[in-house]
Amino acid sequence: MNKKRDIAIIGIGVTKFGELFEQSFDDLVREASIQAIDDAGIVMDEIQGAWLSTAFPEIGVFKGRSGMDLSEPLNLYDIPVTRVSNFCASGADAIRNAANALNAHECDVAMAVGVEKLRDRSSQDSIVKMMVELTHPFYQKGFTAAGTFAVYANRIMHEYGVTKEDIAGVSVKNHGHGILNDNAHRRMSCSLEQVMGSPMVADPLTVMDSCPTTDGAACLIMVRAEDVDKQKHKPIYIHGLGLSISTGWDLPFFDPEHDFLSFKATQNAARIAYEQAGITKPMDEIDLVELHDCFSIVELLTYEDLGLCGVGEAKDLIRGDVTKLGGETPVNVSGGLLSCGHPVGATGVRMVVEVCHHLRGTAGERQVEGAKTGVTHNIGGPGAIASVIVLKNEQ
Amino acid sequence: MSYITSYNTAFPQFIIADKVLHPKAGENTRTVAYTDEDIMTLAYAAACKLSSNIDAILFATTTPIFKERYHASYLADLLNIPEGITALDLGTTTRCGTDALMLANHWVDSGAYNNVLVVAADVEFPAIGKELLTSFGHAAVALIVSKEKGLAEVSDISSYSAAIAEEFQYKKNIIQYDARFARTAGFKDNIKLILKSMNADSIDSIMLNGNYSKLAHGMMKKAGFDMEKQFISNDLITRIGNTGSTHALLRIVQAIQDDRGSFALIDYANGSNVINICVTKSDTKSIVEEVQHKTLINHYQDFLAVRKRGKFESLGYEKLDLFSSEMMQEREKNQFIHLKGFECESCNTVYFLKAARCNKCKATSFKEKQLSRRGTIYSLTAEFYFPNTFPPTNMIIIDLETGGRLTVQQTDDMYQNEKSKLKIGDKVGLVLRKMMENDAKPNYFWKCVKV
Repeated sequence: MNKKRDIAIIGIGVTKFGELFEQSFDDLVREASIQAIDDAGIVMDEIQGAWLSTAFPEIGVFKGRSGMDLSEPLNLYDIPVTRVSNFCASGADAIRNAANALNAHECDVAMAVGVEKLRDRSSQDSIVKMMVELTHPFYQKGFTAAGTFAVYANRIMHEYGVTKEDIAGVSVKNHGHGILNDNAHRRMSCSLEQVMGSPMVADPLTVMDSCPTTDGAACLIMVRAEDVDKQKHKPIYIHGLGLSISTGWDLPFFDPEHDFLSFKATQNAARIAYEQAGITKPMDEIDLVELHDCFSIVELLTYEDLGLCGVGEAKDLIRGDVTKLGGETPVNVSGGLLSCGHPVGATGVRMVVEVCHHLRGTAGERQVEGAKTGVTHNIGGPGAIASVIVLKNEQ
Repeated sequence: MSYITSYNTAFPQFIIADKVLHPKAGENTRTVAYTDEDIMTLAYAAACKLSSNIDAILFATTTPIFKERYHASYLADLLNIPEGITALDLGTTTRCGTDALMLANHWVDSGAYNNVLVVAADVEFPAIGKELLTSFGHAAVALIVSKEKGLAEVSDISSYSAAIAEEFQYKKNIIQYDARFARTAGFKDNIKLILKSMNADSIDSIMLNGNYSKLAHGMMKKAGFDMEKQFISNDLITRIGNTGSTHALLRIVQAIQDDRGSFALIDYANGSNVINICVTKSDTKSIVEEVQHKTLINHYQDFLAVRKRGKFESLGYEKLDLFSSEMMQEREKNQFIHLKGFECESCNTVYFLKAARCNKCKATSFKEKQLSRRGTIYSLTAEFYFPNTFPPTNMIIIDLETGGRLTVQQTDDMYQNEKSKLKIGDKVGLVLRKMMENDAKPNYFWKCVKV
């Protein structure tokens, strides 16, 4: 069964993304949530169910292990609140759970909050240290997150003639976009030479090919489409929402069938979401995409997996500026993860907020003119979990 | 009487020349264990090809990594030899290598055991700044001693005790006797005792493993030996250093390789073992040639880093505390160590990791599959942010010759040069090494090297 969602987003909120040393986990929850509640024009007591997306509570002060870490800072009690954890797709999965609860009439007004506080530790002490010290003693030991995607880069360069310049080109484009985003973590333009000349993280990916370690939060208030008050709300509709786990945390590195040329999880999630939304020609029907460029190579692979081009053609999109703001299908006009940063649990929700702004026509300098249909995409683990959400400004 | 039916040696990839230790020193080289090697990995490398039908193991070392734990039993486990065989350690002096051979010979001769695996391994680093004073070297050797006829016949092993040891440790203090006293009351008296029962005419050649070869030379000459023809010099020491308990056994191996006929080995260290051996079958391998292909350590600083006496750090990490679990290792050793994978009975796809269904055809029946230790690189990367004494950490995805895929670290890659640089499509081999550089717990897994 793969039905259209008929869910409306009526309130959006997002904090600045960055090294927010002056803000706690609770501060971030409050800021994003209250923004969204105000944007929706409701009061907090109208929320009947909430989902909190956090991926790595153990990196901070164990905040975000359960739904109560959303209830406590908001004083939001006596309703069901659930923590959702699905690596980098956690935010999208919180939205999926909220949508499902609305569709099931478990609640009438739902909230999805994504938050991650990574910078109460030094950047080397956070996700990198977790990969080094806490993971399986043998499997993948030696990788950091960058390395698990660098092996895709080297294989795709070997198979499809993708160059280091193509990969670095993604970083140049997205950092260029990020300058237009006040909320972005790394607001700086950069050249191909600067990206390729920055310190190597995992060959061929450099520091500038890698998203920074970031704090941030984002929030959505959602209702069933039938409950939208058009006088009061500026609704954006979820037309499709797919999520798929298509391999494991360790399996890609031990599975002889895994080709390191694409993300099957993205292909599956896109197929589900497109089918719900009735999208058959993604390049023609989608006006903008926010996709998961945690490392620049992932953006190239995802072009193909989302059907924006054919197999082996991703390099042509970046070389032809097709995905640049002003191009045929702009990708990551927010600056993407490369520029915005990646507070893991918050990213998926932040992307939806970004697309909502474009579909509402409130994205300011980086507005994609006339945008009616936008897509968000997350990938989690070593390409294992993916989510795709199709959003439109009409029901 | 018994036979050495097969053998194997294991040397680290790296050697250091004396002139790197001191600019005025010569060209002699010594083998140096890499950061992730120890006596267990070297012993495994030497013994893993000889492990069939073994009913006893003797492990000789003067540099044990365990206390209150048998190295022989641990090695048996790594080699997938069933529990319950006899497994004993020998140690204390460098003579323990031939002690083990002597014991193996008696066991086989008496019919107590049929195939005894004798393993000797030593990794001894001298004090910093004193490297040239002791001719250290790191190696392992493994021999199968059996009743079946083989490469060399072992007969007439005798052991002569002596109270004097030239240099020894007492409660961690290094004690050295006066050199002249040690030579006379120790070595000279002991060799005199041995030579009384030796007949120069009945032996093709003689080999001394121990100090004072110049002194021995004169004594043997007096005893009637034609030293020009009969004395086998210790040319290994200039190439691999003095490898402790392994050295006498390595010299036996070299004598087999050189088809030396019958010879007597006097292994002197705080007393002597005298072993009469007759080579019955020549062998084409050569330790000397093997060592020629090793990689020279360029700088003393690199040597210090290899022995982890330099500051061990990479991007802020001074000490690593990697997760390790004895329970997990015991439970999953068939997979982790013995490389038993799973083959789909429907489509024959081979997996290293277990799942309920085949990822390719969704079938649910699997049979155990022994995975090979050779394969081809599918993809790879060099990780600069993973802590490593010699960054980057090269991570290699390997499609194994038997089917199945493994992703492991590359090792022996201190120098990122043509000799070590890997690319997609290259052939690699798997070697068992330590995963934890801080040596907090034994934690062995596979890494790869270029082949």
